[in-house]
Amino acid sequence: MLTDFSWLVDRWPFLLRALWTTLYVSTLSLLLGFVIGILVGSLRSYGGRVLDLVLGFYVDSVRAIPPLALLVWTFFAFPILIGHSLGSITAGVLALGVHLGAYMAETIRAGLTSVRPGQMRAALALGMTKFAAVRTIILPQALIRMLPPLGSLFVIAVKDSAIASAIAVPELMRQSQVVAGQTYRGPIIFTTAMVVYFLINYPIARGIDRLYRRVAHLGAS
Amino acid sequence: MRFDWSVIWDNLGRLAEGAELTVFLAMVTMALAIPGGLLLAFLRLSRFRLVRGAATAFVEFFRATPLILQIYWVYYVLPVFSDILFPPIATALIGLVCNISSFNSETFRAGILSIRQGQWNAGLALGMSRGQVMLRIVLPQAAMRVLPSLASTWVSLFKDTSLVSVIAVADLSYVALQLRAQTYRILEVLTAMAVIYWLMGYPQAKLVDWLHRRYKVVE
Repeated sequence: MLTDFSWLVDRWPFLLRALWTTLYVSTLSLLLGFVIGILVGSLRSYGGRVLDLVLGFYVDSVRAIPPLALLVWTFFAFPILIGHSLGSITAGVLALGVHLGAYMAETIRAGLTSVRPGQMRAALALGMTKFAAVRTIILPQALIRMLPPLGSLFVIAVKDSAIASAIAVPELMRQSQVVAGQTYRGPIIFTTAMVVYFLINYPIARGIDRLYRRVAHLGAS
Repeated sequence: MRFDWSVIWDNLGRLAEGAELTVFLAMVTMALAIPGGLLLAFLRLSRFRLVRGAATAFVEFFRATPLILQIYWVYYVLPVFSDILFPPIATALIGLVCNISSFNSETFRAGILSIRQGQWNAGLALGMSRGQVMLRIVLPQAAMRVLPSLASTWVSLFKDTSLVSVIAVADLSYVALQLRAQTYRILEVLTAMAVIYWLMGYPQAKLVDWLHRRYKVVE
């Protein structure tokens, strides 16, 4: 029975599409998270005490609320509030992006504050604006130092996209459930899905490690 | 738009029971995943390549795949290999413990390796066995260093327990999602679910920040 793969013959395009959706949702949520992270991270670092407190509240709240709760809230409850329905992929990207954004913000803030304050003072003394100093001097060094934690966030983004199956985003986990339901081949299908996730995530993790070892010296100052 | 929050107050008992199970799951998982993580860390530091390799494969596999799928996997695959039918809560715990043990093992391994070689040498020079050095010298010092990371893992574990709802374990999210289906007070119930998680998790996140400041490694 385990060697009977006839069920796969007409279903592999379905699962392949699911894999694309997984990559699509994780990439978009990463991008959204990165935008939020850059904004929140730099505003917390340079925006003064009030902004730091307000945005810190966002970050710590996200650390306390499970992605599942964010996902179901965004998909089922948020549309009631705005009076406009959201597609499952939109809601998924939104919720996962807001979740990732908080972790991105912490990573970016840690990176920014790791660059010695003397560099900022030097830039300001040279007549640069604070914004220009962050953009051209602090951020490039910080980004390199942030590579390892950013790499873990890439992996987390792919893993968390599986939770979006709870709001019926047609990604790999969800569609595996669908195929398992149709074919009664749960064990082999979920095992395959596990292996596929591993084959996506492991190279990301190791690749970022390797990349970091190659460029680490650029972030040292 | 009219909101009817009475649905929350009327079902507070059920939600509290769910929250209780959430706390229970997190505590039992951590209680098992600390020895589990230590064991995996020791296996990864073993002298035998095969043991090292197997432990590394286990850890990397559980760290690189989604927890929600792991729980599903245990739920579907375990019955194939054993005739015992585990109740869903045991299935959920197996998934959670394997996952958190893998993360803990990395924390412990880093903690153990962070203790300088000189401490090993000193212990061995005093005539202690390797086991004694590990138990009496290295582990006590490593314990303080891993405390902050362990606490961070606890906070994410607390959130991760919500995923057991997919195999019908009646934790807080399962109860809330049931309540949503029964009452149709979608916004109220789901907001309450997020708020209850927030009320439990926010102080923990703050406590972890404090631990990080308090036990920061200064060499």
